[in-house]
Order: sequence, then C-alpha cells, then structure tokens
Amino acid sequence: MADFSWDVRSPLDRALVAGRYGAQGDVGVSLTEIRNFDLVQVMARRGQAGEMIAAAKARFGVGAPETPKAVSASDATLIWSGPDQFFVLSKGGKHTMESLTPGFAGSASLSDQSHARALISISGEKARAIFAKLSSIDLHPDVFGVGTAAATSMDHTSVTLWRGGDRDGQAVFNLLVFATFAESLWHTILDSAAEYGATIGHSEDL
Amino acid sequence: MRIICPYCGERELGEFTYLGDAKPQRPAADAGEDAVYDYVYLRDNIAGVMSEHWYHGGGCRAWLKVTRNTLTHEISAVEPAAGVGAAKVGA
Repeated sequence: MADFSWDVRSPLDRALVAGRYGAQGDVGVSLTEIRNFDLVQVMARRGQAGEMIAAAKARFGVGAPETPKAVSASDATLIWSGPDQFFVLSKGGKHTMESLTPGFAGSASLSDQSHARALISISGEKARAIFAKLSSIDLHPDVFGVGTAAATSMDHTSVTLWRGGDRDGQAVFNLLVFATFAESLWHTILDSAAEYGATIGHSEDL
Repeated sequence: MRIICPYCGERELGEFTYLGDAKPQRPAADAGEDAVYDYVYLRDNIAGVMSEHWYHGGGCRAWLKVTRNTLTHEISAVEPAAGVGAAKVGA
C-alpha cells in the first residue's frame, strides 16, 4: 500500500505569488494570506444561546458577539457568523477544537474549520476601492467601523468579512472564504487590485 | 430588489433564494389525501401582498418570512422564520 504524506498546505499555495502585482509605482493595496490558524465554528443548541455566550465569556473574558461584530479577546477573535453562532479564530494550536469542546458542552455544537477556510487580509489606501468591485456592502468607516463583521457574498462566494484593527492608519479588512473557493476568489481579487498596484505576501501573524 | 435581513441588515437580492408561499401548513397525519395533495401541490397565484419564505444563503443562512407585494415588489415586513435562529429574536 502506498504511503501518503499529509502535508498541510494552504489552499492558496499555488495561486499566491509573493511580491508586486499589477500597476507599478505606489502600492495601492496589500494582500496578505494568513496561514496556520485555528478556526472553530460554535453554534448554539436550540434555546441555549445565553449559555453559549456565557461559556464564551468564561473562556475568553468577552461575550460571544450577538450581532454582526468581531470581538477581540487577548489571544483570539470571536467573529459573528449568523444568528446564535460565531467563529473562534486564533493562532494555530491556541484554541483548538479539543480545548474548546469541554467549555461549550451542552450549550453549543462545535465544528473545526481550520483547514476548511482561507484567511485573506486586505489593507491599504485602495482596499475599499477593491471591495467596491466585489461586494455590495457599504464599507465606509461611518457604517463599517473597526470590529464590524458581515456574512455576505463576493463573486457568488459566501464569505465572512470583518474589519480588524487599523494598521498604519489604514483600515484592515479580513476575509474568510471556503478553501475550495479561495483560489477563484483570490484571482478575482487580483484582477480588482491590478490597476492600483498590489503587494502580495503571506504571514502567520493574526 | 433588496431585502432587509433582520440579522444582517439591507442586502441585495443575489444573496437570497426564494422558496415560495409561507402560508401552507403541513396537514395532520390523519387529514386525508386531499389535504396532503393541496399542501404539496396547490398554490395560490397571488397578485398583491403575500407571505413568502426566503433563504439568506449568501449571508447568515437564516430562513426568513417576507411579506411582499407581488405587483410592486414592495416589502412591508421581514421576520425570522420559525426555527433555531428565530428562537433568539426578542429573547
């Protein structure tokens, strides 16, 4: 029988080419794939939403988001993904399925999505201009401030979008996309970014 | 057309899938063949205000009950359909 080697590879392993892309000159946007994260979906059992929120508070020191928000804890981000459900995003190995399960026993069902999604971080002066081509969501800072989240679609692909903390005075938008759709959406993002000039890379820093 | 999802806010039609009339109720097990036939197959073709089920599959994946005027597309009410998500609203 053949021996299989189960190397963990990013869904964007082939598509992502680090460096400059598109127009030369000023960098309009930074596209960074975040790798090596743990992502666990937590969904309240029927009538147990209150208990789930309390369990999140006990574990992370902050309640789970009940509206489309991303809430920062010391070593994790809790991202709303729908009514009575949220994601726990943390660095690889930090808040794993195994370590989270006991705390939510009885109140919620957990599902490991760590290798089921790709995480793309988009920032820079032209970030909103790119999203204007991909999304119908209004990302103006007056309505989409730091910590706002949305479950929405881009290019017919379901995504979870949220605004993280600003970097260098610029808004940072984070995008979780299904692993099997990541490459397709990545190319669409590149097409949208080309006219502004992009710098592309990957990182393990959440 | 846009639908104001009670969870997500105003979203474009492309994020939603239409199921149909929200009025039919599953008949009791002993209701008889005619009642089941009516429930499964027969639909009113309403020109005016009707109650519909929509699925926000491109967003929060909640089922919604939308009150829509089929002549004008005017939406007068959107509420969560009965189910897990709905248990939360107002709670």
